[in-house]
Amino acid sequence: MRADRRAFMKATLGAATVLAAPYGFVKSTNQAWGAQSWIKKGEPIKVGLLFSLTGGLAVPEEDSTLVMQYAIDEINKAGGIAGQPIEPVIVDAKSDFNVYSEKTKELILRNRVVALFGCYTSASRKAILPTVMAQNHLLYYPTCYEGAECTQNTICTGPLANQHSKDLIPFMVQQFGKKVFFVGSNYVWPKESNKNAKVWLQQAGGELLGEEYIPLGSSEFGPVLNKIREAKPNFIFSTVVGASDIAFHKQFKQEGFKVDSMPIASLTTGEIETRAMGNEFGAGHFLSAPYFQGLDNPTNHKFVEGFLKSKYGKNGVTHYNMEETYLSAYVFKYGLEKAIAKVGLEEVTPRAIRDSTGGIKVEDAVSPEGLIWIDDQNFNAWLKPKIGQCQADGSFKIVKASAEHVAPDPYSIYPDLGKCTADGLKAADGKVRKSVI
Amino acid sequence: MAVGSFFTSFDLSAFINALILGISIASIWLIAALGLTIIYGAVGVINMAHGEFIMLGAYSSYMLQSFLGLPFLLCVPASFLIVVAVGLILERGLIRYLYKRPLDTLLATFGVSLVLMQGVRLIFGSDPKYLAVPPIFSSNIQFAFVNISVFRVVVLLVTIAVVVALWALFYRTRFGVQVRAVMQDKEMAASFGVNADRVYMLTFALGAGLAGLAGSLFGVLNIVLPTMGAAYVVQAFLVVVVGGGTLAGSVAAGGATGELQSIFAYFTNDTFARFVLFVMIVVFLRIRPQGLFAPSAKRR
Amino acid sequence: MNLYHKVSAQWLAYLVFYAVLAMVPLVVSDNFLLNQLSTYGVFAMLALSVSLCWGFGGILNLGQGIPFGLGAYGMAMTMQMQSQDESNPMPPFMLNNSLDHLPLFWVPFGNTTVGIVLALVVPTLFCAIFGGLMFRARVSGPFFAIMTLAMLSAWYTLILDIQPYTNGVNGITPPAALKLGELVVDPYSPGAYWLVLGLLIAATVVAKLMTLSRFGLVVQSIRNDAERVRFLGYNVAGYETAIYTVSGLFAAVAGCCWVILTQYVSPAQFDTTFSLSIVIWAGIGGRMSLMGAILGAFLIQGAQSYLGDAFLNTWLLILGGFFILVVRFLPKGLIGLVESALGRISIGSKKGGNGVSAPRLYPQPGE
Repeated sequence: MRADRRAFMKATLGAATVLAAPYGFVKSTNQAWGAQSWIKKGEPIKVGLLFSLTGGLAVPEEDSTLVMQYAIDEINKAGGIAGQPIEPVIVDAKSDFNVYSEKTKELILRNRVVALFGCYTSASRKAILPTVMAQNHLLYYPTCYEGAECTQNTICTGPLANQHSKDLIPFMVQQFGKKVFFVGSNYVWPKESNKNAKVWLQQAGGELLGEEYIPLGSSEFGPVLNKIREAKPNFIFSTVVGASDIAFHKQFKQEGFKVDSMPIASLTTGEIETRAMGNEFGAGHFLSAPYFQGLDNPTNHKFVEGFLKSKYGKNGVTHYNMEETYLSAYVFKYGLEKAIAKVGLEEVTPRAIRDSTGGIKVEDAVSPEGLIWIDDQNFNAWLKPKIGQCQADGSFKIVKASAEHVAPDPYSIYPDLGKCTADGLKAADGKVRKSVI
Repeated sequence: MAVGSFFTSFDLSAFINALILGISIASIWLIAALGLTIIYGAVGVINMAHGEFIMLGAYSSYMLQSFLGLPFLLCVPASFLIVVAVGLILERGLIRYLYKRPLDTLLATFGVSLVLMQGVRLIFGSDPKYLAVPPIFSSNIQFAFVNISVFRVVVLLVTIAVVVALWALFYRTRFGVQVRAVMQDKEMAASFGVNADRVYMLTFALGAGLAGLAGSLFGVLNIVLPTMGAAYVVQAFLVVVVGGGTLAGSVAAGGATGELQSIFAYFTNDTFARFVLFVMIVVFLRIRPQGLFAPSAKRR
Repeated sequence: MNLYHKVSAQWLAYLVFYAVLAMVPLVVSDNFLLNQLSTYGVFAMLALSVSLCWGFGGILNLGQGIPFGLGAYGMAMTMQMQSQDESNPMPPFMLNNSLDHLPLFWVPFGNTTVGIVLALVVPTLFCAIFGGLMFRARVSGPFFAIMTLAMLSAWYTLILDIQPYTNGVNGITPPAALKLGELVVDPYSPGAYWLVLGLLIAATVVAKLMTLSRFGLVVQSIRNDAERVRFLGYNVAGYETAIYTVSGLFAAVAGCCWVILTQYVSPAQFDTTFSLSIVIWAGIGGRMSLMGAILGAFLIQGAQSYLGDAFLNTWLLILGGFFILVVRFLPKGLIGLVESALGRISIGSKKGGNGVSAPRLYPQPGE
């Protein structure tokens, strides 16, 4: 009896395999989506907001969701895009990279959003990019990152590693001295940022005394601080992120380091982090970012006031990451308008929006950080990094603003690999490779 | 690079500083592990919610400080009491039904950890909180080439005090005799009139409270977040496992692992130090599966 | 006799369950749903592997992410190497990490067959060695659970740290789907779905046959009383290592499938929460039953996908609370409800069959 069942199971298994072979392994069958348009006349334009609302990543990403909703409301109030309102489809990625990947598929294949806004960490971006590229879709990635990536499906509004520390390192060398110690979290972005920083350091005539990486989420800075004490640098360049960053600043002071003689120049320690660590631990340190809540210009005053008063402003702060997210909504708006003008409303595809976004400008009147524009080759933003010093009340005072816009270059420290162009990574021999991640 | 930096940067004063730091790291790991040691050693429960008890301790201090304006030094014992209460409720409501199923207590307490973490997140939000301490704690002591922060000394002293108090409790009081009797043979102890149920309840609550106390100290070193417990819990488990679940074992294991972490981190880097330490512990347990100081009595 | 314990009824239940799953692509053309169901299938395979090791072997394994992750890395490396060619022999991330040639341990993955074999052999070997070491030292119960947890943390830290070889926390992202000879396994196609389902069926059948065999009975008696089995002259450590290793192999297969479906792997696969959630699936569904564990994975993951957004902040609260209730009141999981329901309606003697109720064959006096 049992033998019979076993034989039957085997037969079923075999049958399934035989069936599968001719049927399935061919590229996906559903031709229907090609014909179906992404935007229909008279219906709202759907975009996906793929951020974590729960879990460890919720701290920065919940703010991103809120500011995106604020920006969408603002655009809708002003008449939407081509007369159609934008409708955000909000999902929760639960700080879990598996969920990022699943939700991306759901947003694209099921909800048929025309663009995705999302991710904060590079790891989550890498988790969803294979899907985004396979569907030839479009991701707005609104934060700083390391570059070294050339896809035809992403638009980034934050600073690249080559822009981020360009002014900060020479400024610190000039103000405090030549000797510097690098501390970072142990992952890709800090390591890439430090490679860029070394280039600027060399140009400024500085000297690198040491480079240490801390496990992500670690809160024990004793060993690193001991090494720094031995090395006696003039300042510390930090790419420590998240909860570790707060522990770092706290232990820096607790271990008797003095901010006046050895400040930390950071790429991440902004308004939220300072508030979480307590102002006395943040005061005196430096941050490089394209945006600060304290920027003194009418657009920013309007943005800060409008956002904090709106129903989305419950957390009481606007920081660089939120502003970059806000900008991405306008980059999307302008890009989509241009694409509609070019190919017609119902013919717009995510890829068409991306192709129309090259050179898009967000003017002073809209952009709280001032004019930015999207590079027409690598689709990152031209922007002006600024340097702020944390004050005793936790706000940042701008001590230096770049005079000119800095060009984004995802391969600045890897010139041998090629140049990122609109069609892919172009090597020295003229070969173009698509979707390099 | 690791080897290179060894030869170029070795000097005695830095190494001595690393050793001193090792003592501090050891005290942090030990105080994180004390509650777990007691709960595992005496009650036989692997408490996966231990990290969340630590987190609750930190949040209790935050709450007392920001809503009642309690000074930090009073927050520490108060957090101990609050988490003792949480531990009591948990033991009475859930754990006591599972004593016969040790693997299931592990699972149930994991469920508890999910609930506690998410519950705290719902109440306090997921943004980090901040514990204010007297300014003296934000400075360091320096003599000759030795540097150590005041707060690390505070943690070390508290750890020593707690270990001494626990030792006195277990070896110098009637309650301690009862706990040790129940540990050795529950049925036999019960037949001599020891209320094993009560002993388990109080020990569990005490273990929880110790985690809360540790949490209120960690809130100063680190950051108050719903997920903060996870950073300590793996180390705490390793200390307990290496130590064999006894107080003396945990002290020795905490001391050894903390020192080793600091020394490896001095020669290489923090991440690699962790990896080496984990592998060493696995190898160690292959040789001595019962841990450093296993209880001599019958094993559960 | 309780229908639940009747082996032929169990086979029939599997047959019906898998027949229904196999039909899905014939009626559903929603690519997202197919991909999602295949992912659940992978998770079901993981739950099955944990059920085999924990439910039947009594070895609580909180580090099932290790064989899963190692298998996934092996497959991701294989797929990554498929997009490299003569002119471009190294994955892009290595160039950014200043490697000037392909690391030696990557070279075999250039051959797809060798790569896939390695992706399965390496994790299995790891389980055999680690399990062998631990079980021969008679590490068991909660201690073994904690050791798997420590080992998991060690792997997580290591893979994160050797960034030039693994791309650290960002993980490996093969840019194209897996090619098997001329076939492209498009992750959204019915083919990929059937591939995963076929492997899941194979794993289920192997696991089921194992639990029914003499080997399975010895393993189950070790769960109930290892000392007694040792006194009977069995090599307990050998049996424990074997069941742990088979369970690891299943997890490795699941890891490979998972990368085919998502084209992505990162140290997050070695995260403790992921390994613990595998245990939750098996625990809620019913660890003593292979079917229970499989259904548990489908149920919990399905609920997370479809209710997770509706409940948002309370989702983890509900999951945690539900898990506590199951552990407290239903140690056999939800499938235990089915068992008692069937037990109530079925007539006849109370004598258990030789299926999942095997513990009854070994009454324990004095307990």
